[in-house]
Amino acid sequence: MARRFSRRNFLNQAALAAGAPIFQVKPLRGIDFLLQNSPTPRKFLIETMPGGIALFDYNNDGLLDIFMVNGGHITEALRVPENFERSNPRYWNRLYRQNRDGSFTDVTQAAGLGNAGNGNYGMGVAVGDYDNDGFPDLFVTNYGRNTLYHNNGDGTFTDVTAKAGVAGGGWSVSAGFFDFDNDGHLDLFVTRYMEWDPDHNKICGGDWHTYCPPGAFPATTCLLYRNRGDGTFEDVSERSGITAKKHRALGAAFADYDGDGFTDIFVSNDGMQQFLFHNNGNGTFTEVGLDAGVAFTADGKGLSGMGAVFQDYDNDGRPDIIVTVLPREIYSLYHNDGGGVFTYQSLEAGLGTITSLSSGWGVGLEDLDNDGWKDLLVAQGHVLDNVQQIDASLSYKEAPLLALNHQGKFERADSGVTTPFAARGLAFGDLNNDGWMDAVLSTLGGPPVLLLNRGGGNHWLSIQLRGTRSNRDGFGAMVRVNGQTRFATAAGSYLCANDKRLHFGLGTASKATVEVAWPSGVKQTLNDVAADQFLEVREPEHS
Amino acid sequence: MRWLLYLWLAGQGGSPEALQHLQAGLQARQQHQVDTEIAEFRKATELDPKLADAFVNLGQAYMEKHEYGAAIAPLKRALELSPDLPVAHQLLGYALLSQGYAAEALPHLEKVGAREAMGIAQIELGQYSEAVGNFSAALSQRPGDPDLLYYLGHSSGLLSKSAIDTLMATHPESARAHQAMAQNYYALRQMPQAETEFKEAIRLRPELPGLHLELGQVYANSAQWPKAEEEFRTEVKLQPGNAESAYRLGNALLQQGKSQEALVALKRSNELKPDMPETLYSLGKAASVAGEPGLAEKSWLRVVELEKETALAAQSHFGLAALYRKQGKTAKAQQEMQEFQRLQNTIGPPRSE
Repeated sequence: MARRFSRRNFLNQAALAAGAPIFQVKPLRGIDFLLQNSPTPRKFLIETMPGGIALFDYNNDGLLDIFMVNGGHITEALRVPENFERSNPRYWNRLYRQNRDGSFTDVTQAAGLGNAGNGNYGMGVAVGDYDNDGFPDLFVTNYGRNTLYHNNGDGTFTDVTAKAGVAGGGWSVSAGFFDFDNDGHLDLFVTRYMEWDPDHNKICGGDWHTYCPPGAFPATTCLLYRNRGDGTFEDVSERSGITAKKHRALGAAFADYDGDGFTDIFVSNDGMQQFLFHNNGNGTFTEVGLDAGVAFTADGKGLSGMGAVFQDYDNDGRPDIIVTVLPREIYSLYHNDGGGVFTYQSLEAGLGTITSLSSGWGVGLEDLDNDGWKDLLVAQGHVLDNVQQIDASLSYKEAPLLALNHQGKFERADSGVTTPFAARGLAFGDLNNDGWMDAVLSTLGGPPVLLLNRGGGNHWLSIQLRGTRSNRDGFGAMVRVNGQTRFATAAGSYLCANDKRLHFGLGTASKATVEVAWPSGVKQTLNDVAADQFLEVREPEHS
Repeated sequence: MRWLLYLWLAGQGGSPEALQHLQAGLQARQQHQVDTEIAEFRKATELDPKLADAFVNLGQAYMEKHEYGAAIAPLKRALELSPDLPVAHQLLGYALLSQGYAAEALPHLEKVGAREAMGIAQIELGQYSEAVGNFSAALSQRPGDPDLLYYLGHSSGLLSKSAIDTLMATHPESARAHQAMAQNYYALRQMPQAETEFKEAIRLRPELPGLHLELGQVYANSAQWPKAEEEFRTEVKLQPGNAESAYRLGNALLQQGKSQEALVALKRSNELKPDMPETLYSLGKAASVAGEPGLAEKSWLRVVELEKETALAAQSHFGLAALYRKQGKTAKAQQEMQEFQRLQNTIGPPRSE
């Protein structure tokens, strides 16, 4: 165990005491990124679906950097083979390095992350140290071919997609690194939405002229790649059982829901039942959503599943699931009852009153007020840019939903965001290392929006795992701190990668007990850990 | 049959030549030769301009050929010659109606009691109440007739609109006028306007039954559940015997996670109007959440008794599967899930509202 650094909370506590909003909306100094989704009258479905954000420390300087995935250029004449003009800097993905003063510098070109390929329309991003070299790598999903960028550790990245064998194809959306076979090497899961291309685009809504619902296009399959540990991956989608069912998958989140020591996958599907892939521990998965109680609502209705989070919201030690959906549904909360069974508890948790007219995308369960309970933050905005004309009670642009968790019951709170956005991605991280979780939204046609946490008086603890026998990021570990549990992952939300550090609010406690169950099976306990610090927990190399 | 025809023709008293053409026309009708019919009947009318039957048949022949305008003159002539000929009244009524002369058609149709056609004429004439009466009477003779069902619905709607128009014109500031406007806005999904109008109606006549129920539904539609609850509660006080108010209150409470209170309201609704599948389904949900699995099971089992192949039945099987799964009754859970899936395949998956 080694402390990295510790800081005292310096933010204005008087503001919080006065009931000020949790967040300040702040400009990201030095970031000039605009998400180019390029909407057209032809309503190509991809236009309304980007864009990913990653909050990660690519140069290991202790400051979170930001990677933004761009869409691409679309014209009404778009046909196969597509040209999204990704060689034009206007349509590049962008990497911004955070400076010591909180500003950002665009290092895209120097990092070798500029041209994402003219045939690729950008979607999401996953972050993980797939080769355990101590530098986080990037995986970018596209409509087109996906790209794996190896972090060379010197501020540059190399496109190793061909060598790694992870290009995939079709319409990939969210992705995440996780270690499904506990061999110490991060594997990769990629959701794909549907069988679609511009030549087979449809327009729906009659005179309203809208994007079509997912059911208008054939379903497809997701991708699972096993990391061989030599810089290459094996496509095990079929062998693992992942392709046994067709998806219309948008989000994916990872946790070991049944405590068998193997990380499982939850997939949010749009306009159909949701999937829970139970990891059988032998390289295969079984889809158990229906039997586990997470496939439908309590009424047996399918969901417009978009984003997903797989964390423990009620501090009972078991990971629960929240799925963001479209209006007239309710964000679905599946409470993990233990024994492999979940119960739909959206209404009991208070989501019925605060989410039924909203369209949710990126989502996270993070303790935003450091009171020891994970709160809910959701990026919102309807799929249809003309929805208000069709239904006056709905909006294309919405403010994000902030719901504070009061012992398992969510109540809407003032996020401090007064401007509505057509938001999609939502990534979480402590950008200014003050011990209070911040967030960044992506907005269609607009710049990223920083929600900077104002902070307060509660204590906190931020843990960075350092796997030795397990994967270096410690993804898949279960970490308990003073009765709270987090499952180590940077994935979840929608299209995004979060700060991999595990954030815990401690309330008034100035000390913590930290228990880590590593994917290797090693269990570790740290007592009397001081609050208000960034703590690196290194996995013991010997039992 | 032919000798009967001759016997009848002999009794007509027209010129023999005219009767011959009349007979030829009737024979042509039997052979579905409409043009020959018309030619023969016309000849008969020319040879004997007082032969009423020739005019009736000429009119009928035109109608067979869908030349309703051409049928009118011979039918009118037939009635001049023989004012009580029922078939001439009926045919003339239809012919005039088809040409848009509803007012002129109506007396002829009334003579023969052609209720469906009378109703159509009355719709044209704005006599909606009478039209509704005639379609209802016709339906009692031909239950389930799609045309009659359509016309009954159509005329009822027009009657309703007409009454509301009168209300708005004569009492524009009355509570009922505001209620009617609110309902219109609600149908158009213009909830803020609907809310304003319902509130005004309530201000004017706070004791009027139904207003709070409707305002509550406006709030429910906008997911303003606490406000919906308040309105439904007021309605329940105003109409303690109204099952729908209790049902709506129960659902509003359920949406807010107030399962115990929801359970009370839904039990009350079920007592007031037992065996309503929607109430029973919600009662099952509330009972399940409130920790009364026995009542949940009983309610959902009753739904699947009442409803066999509906979305509500599918949802009840789904609820039962979850209930049994939680109770560790795996076999029963699987059985219910299979039934849910079977219904999904037959009636389609339940959809979110």
